[in-house]
Amino acid sequence: MKDGRQTQHKAWLQALLSLLVPGLGQAVGGAISRGFYIFLTEAVLSGLAVFAAAQRPRYPDYGLSFHAYLRLLGASAALVIFLLALYWLARRVSLRSEFAKTAAGPTFAALSALIAVLVAPRMVDTVLAPEEQKKLFALTALFTAMVVAAIWAWNVYDAAQVRGKAHAPSLTPFYLLLIVGIITLGARIVQINPDKAIREYKDTGVILSRIVWPWKVAFDYKASQLVAEAKVQAPCPPGATPPPVNQPQEGQPWVVVTPTCGELSKRDAKGKLTFGTQLTIRGGGFQPGKKVHILWENPIGNAFTPRGVGPTEIVVGPDGTFSTQLYIPDVTIPSMAQGAQIHTLRVVQRGTAKFTGKLSKAMKLALEKMLESIMMGLMATAAGILLSVPLSFLAARNLMHNIHTTTEGFVGGVLGLVGGAYAGKRLADVLTPLVGGLEKAPVLTFTIYVVLVLGLAIGAYRLLSRALAQAGERLHPTLSLSIGILGMALIGGGVGYALGIGYAHGILGITRGAEAAQAMAHSSGMFGAALGAALAAFWASRLGANGKIPIGQFIYAAVRLLLNIGRSIEPLIWAIMGVIWVGPGAFAGFIALTIHSVAALGKLYSEAIESIDPGPIEALQATGATRLQTIVYAVVPQVLPPFTAFTLYRWDINVRMSTIIGLVGGGGIGFLLIQWIHQFQYEQAGLAVWLITITVATLDFISANIREKMV
Amino acid sequence: MLVVEHLTKVYEDGTVALKDVSFTVEDGEFLVIIGLSGSGKSTLLRCINRLIQPTEGRILWNGVDITQANETEMRRIRREIGMIFQHFNLVERSSVLTNVLTGRLGYLPSWWSLVNFFPQSEKRRAMQALERVGIADKAHNRADALSGGQKQRVGIARALMQDPKIILADEPVASLDPVLAHSILGYLEKLNQEHNITVLCSLHYLDLVQRYATKVIGLRDGRVVYEGTRENIRNITDEEFKHIYGQEAQRLSVGG
Repeated sequence: MKDGRQTQHKAWLQALLSLLVPGLGQAVGGAISRGFYIFLTEAVLSGLAVFAAAQRPRYPDYGLSFHAYLRLLGASAALVIFLLALYWLARRVSLRSEFAKTAAGPTFAALSALIAVLVAPRMVDTVLAPEEQKKLFALTALFTAMVVAAIWAWNVYDAAQVRGKAHAPSLTPFYLLLIVGIITLGARIVQINPDKAIREYKDTGVILSRIVWPWKVAFDYKASQLVAEAKVQAPCPPGATPPPVNQPQEGQPWVVVTPTCGELSKRDAKGKLTFGTQLTIRGGGFQPGKKVHILWENPIGNAFTPRGVGPTEIVVGPDGTFSTQLYIPDVTIPSMAQGAQIHTLRVVQRGTAKFTGKLSKAMKLALEKMLESIMMGLMATAAGILLSVPLSFLAARNLMHNIHTTTEGFVGGVLGLVGGAYAGKRLADVLTPLVGGLEKAPVLTFTIYVVLVLGLAIGAYRLLSRALAQAGERLHPTLSLSIGILGMALIGGGVGYALGIGYAHGILGITRGAEAAQAMAHSSGMFGAALGAALAAFWASRLGANGKIPIGQFIYAAVRLLLNIGRSIEPLIWAIMGVIWVGPGAFAGFIALTIHSVAALGKLYSEAIESIDPGPIEALQATGATRLQTIVYAVVPQVLPPFTAFTLYRWDINVRMSTIIGLVGGGGIGFLLIQWIHQFQYEQAGLAVWLITITVATLDFISANIREKMV
Repeated sequence: MLVVEHLTKVYEDGTVALKDVSFTVEDGEFLVIIGLSGSGKSTLLRCINRLIQPTEGRILWNGVDITQANETEMRRIRREIGMIFQHFNLVERSSVLTNVLTGRLGYLPSWWSLVNFFPQSEKRRAMQALERVGIADKAHNRADALSGGQKQRVGIARALMQDPKIILADEPVASLDPVLAHSILGYLEKLNQEHNITVLCSLHYLDLVQRYATKVIGLRDGRVVYEGTRENIRNITDEEFKHIYGQEAQRLSVGG
């Protein structure tokens, strides 16, 4: 009894707390994470509601009339009542059957969702005028606020029930409300508008059909055509000698234009046309019953269809002749052209086009670029393998986690790496001018730098790390400890200095401006150095003489981080950077795909390494094999099948990506595709889409087959 | 001679696997370690070739302290210590010959492995090792095509490639049936007697221990609780047995 009263008292308290702060009552009642999630949901949803409300000014005609509002509320209430009645009825009818009773709930939920999707828009259509519907769109904020309020109310009720983690009522109402809130907001933010999709579909059909079946432009056609021409002089100054009038000729198409000299039509700034001289055009020798087209060719040889000056398509009479009248069109004459010019009126009758079986220029171009894409994908995969395999070993936890070094060895290693790299750079500085330097021999120069810097760094690293590690073991502990502390302080100071400088430029540069940052860089660097040295020395002293440093785990974490960054940035973004770097073209795309492949393959490979059987590694270590030998003979044979599978998978992805990487200038067929789309050449674009689809599907099939056989 | 002094191993999670273990193995002995699963047998064997780093204590191998050896010294020491495993630890996808050849890696330059190079003399040595365990005809099969007994013989051949002075065998017959168990232990006994290779072997079945061991130590919860000769173990009392294996243990005999 006493327990009951206590619980009662607490329930009221919890409800009150949750009324003030959503989730607080639940937390006090022992369901801390439940309370936290309720609070988080309310915070996020109300934040989004405020965001939606803040967007209101973008919809100036916001606000429904009271009448429309009432109608909407009435319709909604009717719908809810109808649904509830349905539910009640279903429960009544199915009371006898256990199955039906359990099924009633889900059925009701599904039915409500169906009605929400199908009936609700129709209901809105019925009760609201179109301009009112637009305003409804702006009601999202209000609606979200209602959801927030509903969850708040539920949360108070929930808080009263919660007694510890085990005794908490069902979360279903919460989830349902949450889903309603998210869908409302989501539909608004994504601007999902099914009406629009359906209404505007019919206008799309023509263009879509050109993309879907573009094969007409894949081939060349030989068009037989009948052509006749007549010369016309314009303008017509007094004393000019106009071109002679043509005479009808038997057995071939002819056209006679009179007069052969006249004034051009003029178009003023508003686009209004003032007609020039009217021409009478008679022609003959054409195929009866079919159309002829009239084209106007200006003095510099550009032909166009005259607009607004008379008919340009005339049906030829049964005797093969036609006649019509046309004003001389308005022609933009280049400003250098002075005086009278000779124009050409051309009459063209096109016959049926004949299929030649030859590929069109567009098709050839598309095929060429498709090949470029496939090759880009291949090369990027190959380069990706080469670079990611070594990285993947460094990113495999099982190989790296037990690699340790002593403090002294670490000091020697870092000093060796830095010193060796510096010496290598200085040496390369001296040597590279001999081969021509970066301008004349960029690749050779770069190679010399890489070889010397890496070579000397690794050499000095091995030498110094071993020497110092051994010295650390042989020397008196106090001495080796002081070596460790001094060296670590040096390293920590260096890292701290670099971080300090970086802080000055990167952070202070933003908050205080570049000049102030420049002035503070030195002191900031020195402070960083002092702090770094102190921390590193403290750490080294804690580790003691011959202290263990898990260098393998450091490298593992660093490589993993790099791989994750590389993968998080989409190939399209990398391609943009590649275009900035080496200019548009397939090379930029190759760089982008390579970087992403290295990161993605590195991760997949390293996970394959992590899942191998450790037995053989143990066995080989026991024989005295070195780390390299262990990897070659115990790890590599085990990871070969998964590596092959991942590589094929990546090749697949790379070719896919290479087809669209051209959208941002990365070369390949995507470049062509986006150009064609921008020029409204939908058939040609359709060709590109077809080629991409065929290539990707073929590749899918091939790689799936190989993978099946390999693994 | 192998001398283990006050060896202790505490894992990072705090588990004490070995506690102050000391014993001596004379050259040419067939020493068997017995004890329940989890009594520290595997840890003890792996401490001897430092697959596991001991926490405290010394292991003297012909006077050299293994626990203090650096990487280069450890390579030299390890190649004198062969090891065979309960689950054979072969590279399943590689050929039998390659698996055997890997036993020689401790003697070969590291960079040779980059081009997968083994000299002809080593390949002949590997074939001889396979002949000694009677499966030379399987040299070019993949390791995963072999039966359990054959795999363990490959494991022995791999250890032989090291020219070992001592072989550590971690429950070498626990995954095999009794007939095969005798066959494998027979090979080890032959190596022990004819080539004077010291054998350190952990075993489960008492009858196998009685048959092959020249000396026995019993481990329980990481401590040495029993030390005896071949004679002692043949006449082991129920009391001693229960001291090693716990009060609930029942003696049973498997095979013959």
